Amino acid sequence: MKNSYPLTTRKLGDIIAHAGGAEISVARFLGQAKTIADELPRHTYVVNLAASRYEFLLGLCAAIIAGQCTLLPPNRQQQTLQQLRENYADCYLFGETDVEGIAGFYADPEHYASAAAAVDVPVIPRHQLCAIAFTSGSTGASTPHPKYWDTIHVGAQANARLLGLSDAKPANMLATVPPQHMWGLEMSILLPLFANIAVSHETPLFPQDIRDALAALPEPRILVSSPVHLDAFLRADIEATRISRVLSATAPLSAELARQIETRFGATVTEIFGCSEAGSLAARSTASETLWRISDVFDLQVHDDRINVLAPHLPERVVLHDRIEMVGERQFRWLGRDQDMINIAGKRGSLAHLNHKLTQIPGVVDGVIFLPAEDSKRLAGLVVAPGIEPSAILEKLKEAVEPAFLPRPFYSVPMLPRQETGKLARKMVLELFASLGSKANDDAEPADNES
Amino acid sequence: MRPQSEFEQDIAQLIVESLNLEDISAADIDPDEALFGEGLGLDSIDALELALAITQKYAVQLKADDANVQEVFGSLSSLSAYVAENAP
Repeated sequence: MKNSYPLTTRKLGDIIAHAGGAEISVARFLGQAKTIADELPRHTYVVNLAASRYEFLLGLCAAIIAGQCTLLPPNRQQQTLQQLRENYADCYLFGETDVEGIAGFYADPEHYASAAAAVDVPVIPRHQLCAIAFTSGSTGASTPHPKYWDTIHVGAQANARLLGLSDAKPANMLATVPPQHMWGLEMSILLPLFANIAVSHETPLFPQDIRDALAALPEPRILVSSPVHLDAFLRADIEATRISRVLSATAPLSAELARQIETRFGATVTEIFGCSEAGSLAARSTASETLWRISDVFDLQVHDDRINVLAPHLPERVVLHDRIEMVGERQFRWLGRDQDMINIAGKRGSLAHLNHKLTQIPGVVDGVIFLPAEDSKRLAGLVVAPGIEPSAILEKLKEAVEPAFLPRPFYSVPMLPRQETGKLARKMVLELFASLGSKANDDAEPADNES
Repeated sequence: MRPQSEFEQDIAQLIVESLNLEDISAADIDPDEALFGEGLGLDSIDALELALAITQKYAVQLKADDANVQEVFGSLSSLSAYVAENAP
């Protein structure tokens, strides 16, 4: 096995990005990355907060060239940055000014734009720690997942094969998901280093912006997104633009939504199954397939109800929080998540943990937080807390859990429909919840006056 | 808090309905308080959902490049003003 791998397998003349109305060649990109690498502060860790996707790519590769490790926080909230500073004292921010006492470094485009084009590709030791991704638990505290260069290098090429992009013709990519998130990183940052893809510097959110950013790219176009963004894009009444491929992950995509996207944009929709620890594990054409094809570098082993993911390029085996049924050796059917595990806005959490935090709040007699439906975008909650406004309880809960997990709506009720054993049946909770929702518009505090 | 204008009341109602905020009353949204982050604590999924609701009701397409989106979504007051100005 080799001890080092090149930073990119692309040819120097290939186009790797569209930024500021210009096509950026690999040679130009590498020249800029090397220039920035020479000027980076001499620290071990860097938090890349660049707003432009191209700047993020430059910052990540400059850090790799300089032997620095990029931290990928789940968000840029004050709390998150403070936590990073506590755990990685020697870190600085890339693409930002000083925040929360962390020094910022801003690469000036005026300066690096004039860098000489590179004539060779940097080679990176395979054991170099290049990035640390974090999965956010429901506490808001996060678990680090180290990414070594061989994990990145081997994983990105496996993704290219999984998506049929290994030897494909040049394509242009737009992503609506941030590059700091594992899904956005794998597709819009790492794939362009190893497959024939030029990525747009933009990260549009609103449908009209997505449409405009797509239209600005030459065909064929690939859109990397999530079900929430795709659903909004489809529902918005805007002029359609042609898209060849749509790649979706972060939450389950319905077959119906996949079909509608295919019809409207003429695209092939591919859904990817993955996690921050292992990356993209499997793919399917959701409009017509129910089974997932496993990426050729991974082995999935099912032991009792536990699924272990093994791969030569992963530092350790990964345990999945999903229930699956293997179909042959290389395909599986997804049966659902572990009942306790939820994924809201790309963040994972445990319902048991959330419920524990809720019932620990002084004045709360009983309470439950739940996902109203498998495809719900938000959690909902019911609380028994006589004399306390639900909003005051939410304020308290906000201090203990990740904001995306705050239940909405959150109703106060006289009691929960617990059985004699104390068990709370999901069906009963949903019935009570449904009965409250219908009255909500007539009564500002629907549950307080119930007898 | 200063009272909501008539148009702000409409937008407040739209916010509550489109974002499933049934547990708060539209009339309680402070026109000058932050909608995102602190304040109501909305996030980008809410921004997207709200943008769609505004497009459907007022035929206004929100775009990030023709205005500072963070400013537009800053408060009920700034959002209402933006919709009023851009409605056909």
